Amino acid sequence: MADTDLKTPLYQVHKAHGAKMVPFGGWLMPVSYSSVLQEHQTVRTACGLFDVSHMGELQVKGPAATAFLQRVSVNDVTRLGDGEGQYTAILHPDGGMIDDLIIYRIQADHYFVCVNASNTDKDYQWLLQQASAMAGVKVTNESTQWCQLAVQGPKSTLAVEALLSPVTKAQLSSLNYMQIMPVKLFGIDGLIARTGYTGEHGYELYVPNAIAERTWHGLMETHSQTGIQPIGLGARDTLRLEACYLLYGNDMNDGVSPLEAGISWAVRLEKGDFVGREALVAQKAAGLNRSQFALRMNEDGIPRHGMEVFKDGELVGVINSGSVLPTLGGAGGLALLNPKKVAVGDIVEVDVRGKRKLARLVPKPLYKAKVKS
Amino acid sequence: MEFPNGLKYTKDHEWIDTAAAPVTIGVTAYAVDQLGDIVHVELPKVGDSFEAGAAFGTIESTKTVSDLYMPVAGKVVEINKAAVSNPQSLQEDPYKLGWLVKVEVKSKIDASTLLDAKAYQHFVAEA
Repeated sequence: MADTDLKTPLYQVHKAHGAKMVPFGGWLMPVSYSSVLQEHQTVRTACGLFDVSHMGELQVKGPAATAFLQRVSVNDVTRLGDGEGQYTAILHPDGGMIDDLIIYRIQADHYFVCVNASNTDKDYQWLLQQASAMAGVKVTNESTQWCQLAVQGPKSTLAVEALLSPVTKAQLSSLNYMQIMPVKLFGIDGLIARTGYTGEHGYELYVPNAIAERTWHGLMETHSQTGIQPIGLGARDTLRLEACYLLYGNDMNDGVSPLEAGISWAVRLEKGDFVGREALVAQKAAGLNRSQFALRMNEDGIPRHGMEVFKDGELVGVINSGSVLPTLGGAGGLALLNPKKVAVGDIVEVDVRGKRKLARLVPKPLYKAKVKS
Repeated sequence: MEFPNGLKYTKDHEWIDTAAAPVTIGVTAYAVDQLGDIVHVELPKVGDSFEAGAAFGTIESTKTVSDLYMPVAGKVVEINKAAVSNPQSLQEDPYKLGWLVKVEVKSKIDASTLLDAKAYQHFVAEA
């Protein structure tokens, strides 16, 4: 591990729980506490607690904040009301993805933005540069001041309620998927969003570093009612893969457009001009040569990032993410394939270290998210 | 973590039981612990021959794939099909249930390339 890897304020807590720590996105993070498969199951059936403080938090403020975000992101920011969030992406002018992110509108002149750890600096510099050309907007990077704790699973509401006063408990019960609300936790201002990266009902809590440990312990104290357990990035990856949520750096990067990545539902070409729009319009008109497919293995063997995929002997693309699928059984993943050569339902071959293994292209998602239940 | 005294070990984290012929080969408790959940094991066919140090199969955890390396030169005469169908047995018992292959050694084993339990324990403590 590099000496420069950052530690979250919960580093000692993870060590005390016996976590295996690994470098990820410039941070030293828990990959697993006991067993990835058990942790995965805990989130699907009970409740998991994740330290995802490596994620970046940016604030965009000012009278031109809405116009600015509308210009730099692919989704339609004007559809958001106060306390609502949306999944979106920021693009290079050529249509390649700088990052995927969630933009929350706190109020008309104040947005809270959650970005990927490894992209935080890149995103921040890009947004600063874009904002410099526009009056009335200020972008700040508050990533090192915020901890993010994800509470995910069917029992997550019960766990989060333990931190709240009766009044905020009532507010939580009316918080819809993709909404965010301000809260006082231990007398300090934080945010609770009903979002996640697991495919289960759950929340993401943004808390200042000073109360990160107290928040963690407060949630863990609900163990006897909720079965809550700490969950590492290993299970976070298998959970998100089953739900077909993308992972930047694996499933897309600066050279992949959101149309190719499979998130065209978040792209609002009709909203007016935005950075990268022209490239996307051209790409759409020409027809895509790459598109994100989900696949499941018909034979043993586990698809992994970078493995080649063949149809009738012809190379049609590569695996972006692959793993065992603990909830569904077997193995599977996401692959960027040529949609002119393959379609959902086709049988393809994955080159697993020199051996061709049969797989089938299946509809996305692999696991239907229960986020709205 | 347990490293039985009767076995020999390699720096690639395989163990070999040379007490009887054919020799039995598996991976160590340390390797299993480092990998985490083992979800897939791929072994060679009976009859395949390997040089010492050659990759003879793979072991996969949820996150990573690792090659298995032959501690000695020889021919595979039996594989543990139960370990292939139930990779978790390697975690439960890497030395008994979780053995991987039985090998008919080609020539006299070069003992200088293998570690005893104490030396291996020392080796992993420094890793």
